[in-house]
Amino acid sequence: MIKRSKRQLGLAVTSMLAATMVLSACGQANKAADNSPAANNTAASNSTNTGEKGNTAADTSTEVKLKMVLLGAKPADYDQVFAEINKNLKEKINATVEAEFLAWSDWSQKYPLKFAANEDFDIIYTSNWAQYTDQATKGGFLELTDDLLSQYAPQTWAAMPKVKWDQARINDKIYMIPSNKANEFTDKLVLIRDDLREKYGLEPVNSPETYAAYLKAVAKNEKGITPYGLESAETNNHNLDKQLLVQKNNWKEFAGIPFTVKTDDAKAQVFNMYETPEFDQLLTYYKDLADNGGWSRNALTSKSSTTDDFKAGKLASMSHNVTALGGVMADALKAHPDWKLALADLSPDSKKSAAISTQNGMAIHATSKKAERALMALDLFQNDKQLHDLVMYGIAGTNYTPEGDDKFSKTDKFANYNSFSNWSWTSTLDRVDTNYPQAAQEIEKQWAGKVFNYELESFVFDKTKVVNEVANVGNVMTRYLAPLEYGLIKDLDKGKADLIKQMKAAGSDKIQAELQSQIDAFLAK
Amino acid sequence: MSERRHRFWHDVVKYRTLLLMLAPAVLLFFLFSYIPMSGIVIAFKRFDYVGGVFGSPWVGLDNFKFFFESGDAWRVTRNTVLYNLGFIILGNLLPMITAILLFEVGGKWFRKLTQSMLFLPYFISWVVVGSIAYNFFSYEVGTINGLLTWIGMDPIDIYNTPAYWPVILLVVNTWKTLGYGTVMYLAAITSIDKEMYEAAEMDGANVFQRILHVTVPNLYPTLIILVLLAIGNIFQGDFGMFYNMIGNNGLLFSSTDVIDTFVFRLLIGSNEIGMSAAAGVYQSVLGFVTILLANYAVRKYDKERALF
Amino acid sequence: MSAAVVKHSKDRILLSVIGYTLLAILAFLCVVPFLLILSSSLTDENTIRMEGYKLFPTVFSTEAYKLLFEYPEAMIRAYGVTLMVTIIGTAVGLFLTAMSAYVLCRKDFKWRNQFTFYFFFTTLFSGGLVPWYLLITNYLQWKDTLTVLIVPSLMSVFYMIVMRTFMAGIPEAITESAKIDGAGDFRIFMQLIIPLSKPALATIGLFTALRYWNDWYMALLFISKEDLEPLQYYLYKMLGNMEGLRTAMLGSGAGVSIDIPGESLKMAMTVVACGPILFAYPFIQKYFVQGLTVGAVKG
Repeated sequence: MIKRSKRQLGLAVTSMLAATMVLSACGQANKAADNSPAANNTAASNSTNTGEKGNTAADTSTEVKLKMVLLGAKPADYDQVFAEINKNLKEKINATVEAEFLAWSDWSQKYPLKFAANEDFDIIYTSNWAQYTDQATKGGFLELTDDLLSQYAPQTWAAMPKVKWDQARINDKIYMIPSNKANEFTDKLVLIRDDLREKYGLEPVNSPETYAAYLKAVAKNEKGITPYGLESAETNNHNLDKQLLVQKNNWKEFAGIPFTVKTDDAKAQVFNMYETPEFDQLLTYYKDLADNGGWSRNALTSKSSTTDDFKAGKLASMSHNVTALGGVMADALKAHPDWKLALADLSPDSKKSAAISTQNGMAIHATSKKAERALMALDLFQNDKQLHDLVMYGIAGTNYTPEGDDKFSKTDKFANYNSFSNWSWTSTLDRVDTNYPQAAQEIEKQWAGKVFNYELESFVFDKTKVVNEVANVGNVMTRYLAPLEYGLIKDLDKGKADLIKQMKAAGSDKIQAELQSQIDAFLAK
Repeated sequence: MSERRHRFWHDVVKYRTLLLMLAPAVLLFFLFSYIPMSGIVIAFKRFDYVGGVFGSPWVGLDNFKFFFESGDAWRVTRNTVLYNLGFIILGNLLPMITAILLFEVGGKWFRKLTQSMLFLPYFISWVVVGSIAYNFFSYEVGTINGLLTWIGMDPIDIYNTPAYWPVILLVVNTWKTLGYGTVMYLAAITSIDKEMYEAAEMDGANVFQRILHVTVPNLYPTLIILVLLAIGNIFQGDFGMFYNMIGNNGLLFSSTDVIDTFVFRLLIGSNEIGMSAAAGVYQSVLGFVTILLANYAVRKYDKERALF
Repeated sequence: MSAAVVKHSKDRILLSVIGYTLLAILAFLCVVPFLLILSSSLTDENTIRMEGYKLFPTVFSTEAYKLLFEYPEAMIRAYGVTLMVTIIGTAVGLFLTAMSAYVLCRKDFKWRNQFTFYFFFTTLFSGGLVPWYLLITNYLQWKDTLTVLIVPSLMSVFYMIVMRTFMAGIPEAITESAKIDGAGDFRIFMQLIIPLSKPALATIGLFTALRYWNDWYMALLFISKEDLEPLQYYLYKMLGNMEGLRTAMLGSGAGVSIDIPGESLKMAMTVVACGPILFAYPFIQKYFVQGLTVGAVKG
């Protein structure tokens, strides 16, 4: 038997070896191709050094076609809108663009493969939720040096606040042009059915306590309506933690890990937010809500879309950021004119944080040979009024109706263009939807005055050294934290002790130490 | 030495037609399986685009660390194997019984209709199965709890009780693959020589004895091969099924987490292909060892029935 | 076959009782969820949200199907691609599978175990997605071709080995006598083995066809031209884009929201995707429901 299987293995291994040889030849071919970004890079910086004519140094004498990779469905009106964009772009920088769309269903699989196979494209959508850090560290994006940006994207370079560039830095290097939307916040709030609140004679919702009273009243009196629906089931903590723990106490959020710092702490002491008295208090708050039917007992498994459920009247409340809830509000009121809806900030006295710029952005492929022109095109998409309107809303009169300089209304054909990630070009030139609720605009206005700028605002945690620990702690949170917070574990003290023990076992101390040392180094600079 | 080489070429000539008939398959698998297989090296590398598959820096066994340091490696491996064992046993037993019954009872019309019906679940994607299951098992609005309260019993909290899930998953998996397996065993039954039945009949065997002594033994080769084929993949969890049925419900993980869902959850944030490749290597090596042992055992018992 | 020897003795009656009962229960369990799907695909979206899936539509709506067939030409084209890929792939794949399986089941073939191992080994180890993708896009350059939808999935080791097992059941005497008559291996395969393996061929043919019919993954990876999209990928993408739009747009704060009948659409897609197969099924079914016995062919 042994002899036999050895021989059999032999056949398999030989074929594998032969195969390896074929592929290593491939590997080399790959390498050759991959050498070009460096070459290209130097070429680009060379031209920066030599072209000292100021901002219009770029040579646009030859026409180029830029290939763009975007996320989402190909718009039904792609041909019409992009013909218009190209006419405009050709005139301004002698270039045209052609877009490929990676469907929402499968972009995350195709996205890294496009880099691995070094496919031919120049511009690609990216974001902190769309593999920005990952592809940047693997060498997929072209580094955007200050020289490159100031020369080929001068308007963007001038318009973008420094903190937004800094947030896009990975090991001090920038790889994306972030979107530059004004008045965008990371803070979240809740959307409630104000008609139900009035029906039960409750106080306006503006604190955790008034919110709890509202949820409990709905649970008690409205059969068939679930008081609170989760933003998404893919979570490792309670959706409301962000509002009731982070925002309420003015802590800084680090996505995916349990650690935080107080934004007003000059020394920036890192601590685990699930080991604080604030959390203990919140836990009893959650448990009380859970026991009184504040959310479904199966909240962690729920399959249906919260937005749709809210619009259908199955939910009495949901949480999200102000723009998203504004959109839901407008839609829901259109379907149910008899409802009254309200946006409620549960910690109105807290400071507010501006959105993180890497939420949306555009990057240049490391091996693109047309990087300069690509940057020029992106510069125009964000800052040239005519092109910005086109890429953001489609053709005026067809896909949208412009109202003045800064407003628009949707036409029936709005969705024929707006089906993909064109938000990467949002900027100060954006128009506001006339249907966007007044309430949301008011909140934005109020919050704009409370935005807090602090030293750590542009700090980004580099997880490279503790990637295993972060993954394992995340797993522990999914297993022990989320069920505890959603009130599914009877004994709170034991549940909490288990959680802390498991987090420690998964290496949370190491993450804490690493985060602290990175923050210290950042502040020392 | 030259003697052996001579033998070899002699054999090549002797089997030339058979070798030629096998050639397309050999080439196809060389091209689409063996060539890409060299990518296994990624499991031992920190993959980047500059180096590509072969030029990226070696990191030894670093990519395996996340899995073994998690403290859950044993639990998810055990779950994977136990679930697969359950699937193998029920997933062969029930189709076999169904196929025998289909063959033995009923008219043509009944047989055809039943058999088509059994195939329906195969067409329902796991996403849809997951949604339907939620409609059945949900605490507040589920059909099951509706029935329970209707007959005056207390509702049960299925989605928060790990103990129910091994049974549910076993049933759902068997249900979904029933039609598929039945067809396989039906084909095997229809290939049984009719004369053997007649001989049994003559010996005065009743229907049950005939099934037990003629039909079932004739299904052994199929059964053994299907089991062996499944054993090679006993360390691979069906991601689509577990993910769509359980999702991110941490409360159920103790009894429902398999290697594939666990690795997916751990790596979703980092997208590190080296690490997912490492998990794949772990599953493959264990599967390889297991199948060699299983095949050895079968060979000892009957050489002809073994896989290789 | 068995029908010929039916005697209404006690044991037969008992078997019938057990058989009918069990089969009826199983068939019921398999049909009910499908009826739920069918009914939900015809139910108004909001009603599903509020009441869940029901066996009969409470508020009837064809909205989901309307949306699915919003671009009928695209749908017809997708059906066309799937049909072509399925037919070619199944015909070629089944032939190659049967031919290889025959070689592997020949007891006098010296290297049968080594070759079986060669094939089986590929089911255990895989190099992952990246090298495979590189091979197909960069070296074979099969992106956006029908070839990529057909060739890589032609054969499956699983089917090959199952087929080998079926063929091993054919009495050796049959091939022996043909050999003595001077028939070559290939001729024996074509003229004797193929007709004798009809149930196996029907079974594996069905499985191969289903695999092609249901495949969306190859298209996901390698097809970006719309006119080469097979049905399942077309549907998968449509649903994905609608759900993605909802979550991604919400997350990005784009504030765009459209009304999508997500739940009923999912169900309608299931119906649309398996409809044609269900119609075609009874025609191939006869091969493995009635089957044919070796004796019948021999005689």
